[in-house]
Amino acid sequence: MRAGRGVVGRAVSAVVPHVILIAFCAAILLPLLWLARVALTDKVTAYKLPPEWVALRFDNFVEIFATFGFGRAFLSSVIAAAGSTAISLPLATAMAYAFARFATGGMPLRLFVLASQMLPPVILMLPLYTLFQMAGLINSWTGIVIAHLTINIPFLAWILVAFFQGEVEQLEQAARVDGATRFQAFLKIAVPVAAPGLLAAGLLAFILSWNEFLFALILTGKATNTLPVRLASFQTQRGIEIALVAAGTLVAILPVLALLPFMRRYLIKGLSLGALK
Amino acid sequence: MAAVATVNEIVRRDRQFGWFMTAPGLAALVLVVLFPLFFTIFTSMFEYTLVRPGYDTFVGFDNYRSALAQNYFVESIWVTAKFVVAVVLIEFLIGFTVALMLNAVTRFKNIYYPILLMPLLINPVVVAQIWRMFLHPELGIVNYLIGLVGVSKVNWLGDPAIAFWTVVMVDIWHQVSFMIILLLAGLSALPKEPYEAARMDGASTLQSFLHITLPLMRPVIMVTLLIRLIFAIKTFDLIFIMTRGGPGTATDLISYFIYRSAFYGLDIGQASAISVVLLIAVLALTAYLYRYMRSLA
Amino acid sequence: MKRLLLATAFALGVATTAQAQTVHVLMETVPDTDYIKALLPEFKAATGIDVDIEAISYIDMHSKLVPQLTSPAGGYEAIVVDFYWTAEFTKAGWLMPLDDLIKRDKVDTSVYVPSLMNLVGKVNGVTYMLPFYNYSMGIIYRKDLLEDPKEQAAFKAKYGIELKVPATWDEYKKQVEFFSRDTDGDGKIDFFGTINQGQRGDCISMQWSNYLYGNGGQYHDANWKATFNSPAGIKAVEDFRDDIAKHGPTGAESFCFDEANSVFGQGKAYSFVTFNILLSGFNDPASSTVVGKASIAPNPIGGLNGGWGWAIPNSSQDKEAAWKFIKWVESKEIVKKRTLAGGAPTQAWVFDDPDVVAKRPEMGKLKTLVATAQEFPTFTYTVDFVEALGRELNLAVSGQKDPKEALDTAAEEFNKLAKKDGLLKE
Repeated sequence: MRAGRGVVGRAVSAVVPHVILIAFCAAILLPLLWLARVALTDKVTAYKLPPEWVALRFDNFVEIFATFGFGRAFLSSVIAAAGSTAISLPLATAMAYAFARFATGGMPLRLFVLASQMLPPVILMLPLYTLFQMAGLINSWTGIVIAHLTINIPFLAWILVAFFQGEVEQLEQAARVDGATRFQAFLKIAVPVAAPGLLAAGLLAFILSWNEFLFALILTGKATNTLPVRLASFQTQRGIEIALVAAGTLVAILPVLALLPFMRRYLIKGLSLGALK
Repeated sequence: MAAVATVNEIVRRDRQFGWFMTAPGLAALVLVVLFPLFFTIFTSMFEYTLVRPGYDTFVGFDNYRSALAQNYFVESIWVTAKFVVAVVLIEFLIGFTVALMLNAVTRFKNIYYPILLMPLLINPVVVAQIWRMFLHPELGIVNYLIGLVGVSKVNWLGDPAIAFWTVVMVDIWHQVSFMIILLLAGLSALPKEPYEAARMDGASTLQSFLHITLPLMRPVIMVTLLIRLIFAIKTFDLIFIMTRGGPGTATDLISYFIYRSAFYGLDIGQASAISVVLLIAVLALTAYLYRYMRSLA
Repeated sequence: MKRLLLATAFALGVATTAQAQTVHVLMETVPDTDYIKALLPEFKAATGIDVDIEAISYIDMHSKLVPQLTSPAGGYEAIVVDFYWTAEFTKAGWLMPLDDLIKRDKVDTSVYVPSLMNLVGKVNGVTYMLPFYNYSMGIIYRKDLLEDPKEQAAFKAKYGIELKVPATWDEYKKQVEFFSRDTDGDGKIDFFGTINQGQRGDCISMQWSNYLYGNGGQYHDANWKATFNSPAGIKAVEDFRDDIAKHGPTGAESFCFDEANSVFGQGKAYSFVTFNILLSGFNDPASSTVVGKASIAPNPIGGLNGGWGWAIPNSSQDKEAAWKFIKWVESKEIVKKRTLAGGAPTQAWVFDDPDVVAKRPEMGKLKTLVATAQEFPTFTYTVDFVEALGRELNLAVSGQKDPKEALDTAAEEFNKLAKKDGLLKE
């Protein structure tokens, strides 16, 4: 790609991406660092300008777990997000493959799958509450996992169609000629080649579920509340408990750290997988 | 004749296999998609209010007419269109740039990547709350910092000319990584051979980008834009917490308009009617954009 | 189809009701909720009934409640209802009338402040709720500044009247002007006479109501025809706009009470018109730099009234237990304990209780504040009207619309809604 350029040119093109990435990461990180400082102080100090540097206190973190049940809410969120992602990813992958290879159901089916996602959530509230109550799924983890499936499956199916479409079909056809069944060709050839897309889409599905608010609000109760619902309760009639919000938000970002080792492999693998083709 | 029969057989088996693969996902979806759709379309033709819920009075298209006649409805559509175009385009441009850079580097990737994931894991309600604090004109850190370099206080959310772009900016901070993740996945799934061939032929980086990267990335770009577009149209929490549609009507998105019809006006019939109009518009737009972008390929 | 679903849901709901006695209550995150939570063991000891309080944010309550209330088998035995929603909830038939229970158990409802009983207790003569707490609006101000002899002398020299708790709206306006100062000499006000809550929606509508009353205006006449677009109303909008521009912080047209609160809590303002329940927060060192310096005064002409009530939804699974809980939480003993802890009571006697007054000297002023508070138009479409009014007021104070034009539009919408509700007849 960089043939015919001098040493200087090569050095510049090696440095430029890092400069841009560092600038971008700074834009993302600086507000979060300020948020961390808010989490480590109280409301009155958080609003003081010029900033007053007092001893950091961890009371907010203690309080959200001890008084506001963030441990339980964290667990609920993990169950909802991990559960709905784990179930929706295989279902949506199969669906997307059928859409991409065999145009199953054509455009109408694809639009239908996505249609409920185009209605404002406030409209979905009444019918879905009725439905879930009928099924006895109010205030249960099963209920919230199923509710999030309805968001994740359409979303994942649409994204994954793009990754399967981008693939070269010859590999699968070659496998078929060699005697593989359609399902084997899908599982052994198509899925591995689409792996970067699958992982990225799965990650986004996890995030969608992690942040989902309205279903969690109306379908869960005290024992099954997810983090977003808990966090929202810090907006009180006496103002926003911003220090608690900040502490709770930092806790909500934690899964990133848990995903780190997994992502490291994915990020390196992404390159080698591409080379495989 | 025999060959034709075999081809037909293959097509038939393909179709069967397609439905076999689609069925489990569809089964999980059918009730939760069909029922709300049916409920919404049906309700939109009745005088269904929270005070008197029920299907006693059929009103045909009256709800549609009265929705359109409401004050500031057209403004709300216009603000929504502006907002959606602004966030989707800007996020795409920034997101694609960052994704290309990330794809080009090998070192520090596992530092950059988790950092850009972080905003996505924050709930939109909280994003709105913390930015409202940072942008507090008297007590916010942002105005304090720009004050240090001599810029006078900016009225981020109270000035009609600025508030819209403030909300766009916060949305970008929050959502731009959505684009990056998908586009980066698309880039890392690209085959390497075409680039090597191009390099042999002496193509420049720009030429490779225009003639190899862009065409190969088209399906991923297309779906990324579409999904982001659909989510952007539903943007609600940001507005509800940060501005309530104000100042005046500067940030009055259609999702908040529908929320008001349903919960403040208590008119589920009318809120459903607006939702149906929105649904048809978004479906048509999706189908059109999808066809259009495929026709480019 | 919906009917069928509802019927099935009902059958399922009935099948699952035989449980141990627990009263599930949906409440809002306010200090009063915490005071009650702390007292619950007493109720459990006395009755053996568990109370499970789920406290969520105000802005999410309506979304959470409506599906519960429209369904025949709701998850809450008792709920709290904002005065905003009384007409809507009762008209929709979601709340159970309490008159029979009140008569049966000889509960004395005359202990409540009449203005609050009217606001959140009764609808068309039927009692649906017992008032729980009030959030009537008043003027929170800096006592230390008002009582400072130097300030008093300077004020008298400038205006020819005493600096004291304002007895007229005009007097308060003079104080706002007097205390607006440029302390660092950069030509811009940086200590504010007042802080406006100008955000579109209920924030501006609620605070502006005090300006309307202060200028002698009213929302509507006896026939429910809008009168707030009168000269008094226009003056109120102009005052509000000028306060933002001349006496308040930058960006007050986008503030709700949290932003205003923080400005006052940082010691950057003399006063602001707001909910009385915010006062106790300013004596908490974790959220205020003006501990011990804040006090409250009633709006001279009567400020805006506000309050919440206890109700039993018709979808309640155990109405008797819910009623037991409500009777307990509104009993004299518990009301006194709640008030001593810092609550905002609704029963008249507790404002004069010697123990309470000894601990909270501002009780006398709070009594006047609640007793003289004026009622926002409460009808089925209150919330819709609040939104329309809030939009027009915000357009006017952010300089996008002429005040008279804005009020005329809001009045037109008010009349339309009053007509829709059968109140205004042509």
